[in-house]
Amino acid sequence: MKKLLLYILMGTSMFAFSQDDLMDLLGDEPTIDYATATFKGTRVVNFQSSEIPAKGVMQFMIMHRFGSMNDDYLYNFFGLDNAQIRLGLDYSIANWLNVGLGRSSASKTYDGFVKAKILRQSKGAKTMPVSLLYYGSMNYNSQRWNDNIDHDDSERLSYVNQVIIARKFNESISFQLSPTLVHFNFVETSNQPNDIYSLGMSGRVKVTNRIAITAEYNLGLTDNFYYVEGVKTPYEDALSLGVDIETGGHVFQFHITNSRGLSDPQWMTRTPGSWGNGDIYLGFNISRVFTLKKPKTVDAPTF
Amino acid sequence: MKKFILLVVGMMAFQGIQAQKYITRSGYIKFYSSTPVEDIEAASNQASSVLDVDSKQLVFQVLMNSFQFEKALMQEHFNENYVESEKYPKGTFTGNFTSNEDISNEGQHPIVVKGKLNIHGVDHMVSQTMTLTKKAGEYFLQGKVVVSPAMFKINIPSAVQDKIGKDIEVTIKAKYQQR
Repeated sequence: MKKLLLYILMGTSMFAFSQDDLMDLLGDEPTIDYATATFKGTRVVNFQSSEIPAKGVMQFMIMHRFGSMNDDYLYNFFGLDNAQIRLGLDYSIANWLNVGLGRSSASKTYDGFVKAKILRQSKGAKTMPVSLLYYGSMNYNSQRWNDNIDHDDSERLSYVNQVIIARKFNESISFQLSPTLVHFNFVETSNQPNDIYSLGMSGRVKVTNRIAITAEYNLGLTDNFYYVEGVKTPYEDALSLGVDIETGGHVFQFHITNSRGLSDPQWMTRTPGSWGNGDIYLGFNISRVFTLKKPKTVDAPTF
Repeated sequence: MKKFILLVVGMMAFQGIQAQKYITRSGYIKFYSSTPVEDIEAASNQASSVLDVDSKQLVFQVLMNSFQFEKALMQEHFNENYVESEKYPKGTFTGNFTSNEDISNEGQHPIVVKGKLNIHGVDHMVSQTMTLTKKAGEYFLQGKVVVSPAMFKINIPSAVQDKIGKDIEVTIKAKYQQR
């Protein structure tokens, strides 16, 4: 009897380990899960998103805004004849640092920008509820003066300082806030503000793995206006709706927006068109990435 | 006497758990897809595995987001669109193996590994000949398996169909240490 017991116990001790137990043996090592692809593109529509291309990646981006829907739309072939364009090229020096250059046709503006990721949203071994970025751009308006006054070159400059706070709530829903300060060195009349504050709000909802709906709104916080034949007229807040479509190395973004300008200070603070009046522009962004420097690969062990 | 039996039984049970299991946390897994348009390769050296040489069982697990690609965007698409790493973070294998040779001897032994591969939340049975080598008390496992995205209900959109192979070669290399 005792012997039998012994054999049974020996037997069980040998085969007690099932595959599940073996799997348990491995356990779950704590890892930091960073939120990735909070947005598909580096821009939502006009706003910079919390995305930065990976280190060593160069991105070429074409942004297009056609003429407005209330301006002889068919005569202008759906506004295509009045298209505005920005060409941009950026490069990621590090996974957290991206720099770029661009040229926008509206007001012939050149821009240079820097975007830096300071915090990365993560869960697991390290919890960080949001991603936090700094974005800054310097813009040079190269349009000829037509007032026969001697202007200093510095009057052509304007600056954008922005903090981006983004959170990917789940696989499909992301939201971000972008408190923004635009500074103009030069404004046309002395009572117009040089510093214009606004709060950007952007979101996206994924429809499928490759298609997402986006929206962004720039809430103006400064009394910001211009004069139309001597009448003080407030600028409108920019509101845009879009669709992102991703195919391999490209992201196509189609949208409708009331802001036609493409350089930062233009669309952020100089949007005269209102949705109510039909000042709606069809537009698209297309980006293409080029991997200039390949990331480190994992080498096979030698044995 | 009773105490003695208990002690023996206890020791044996303990041995059964302790002695014959080999483990790694730095297993290497590579997959390779080749088409006329593009070759895609990705590898991870963070696979963990247990090899039980007594019961001839083998398990593997790897975090899908530990695979490194040569293009960052590919890696993002792999995790976001294809294997859906947020929903299905791990790839696992649970199975056993047989061998005509005594694998406790030093040297190379062909083994037949059979079991359940789980990727993208979908199980698929695989059976494959691999090589198990014992050298200086350590075990080395090497092998290749061919899988396809369709096996694991991974949908490849038509726009990129000519870039992603229907057959994907998976290479496994692991060096085990006694636990």
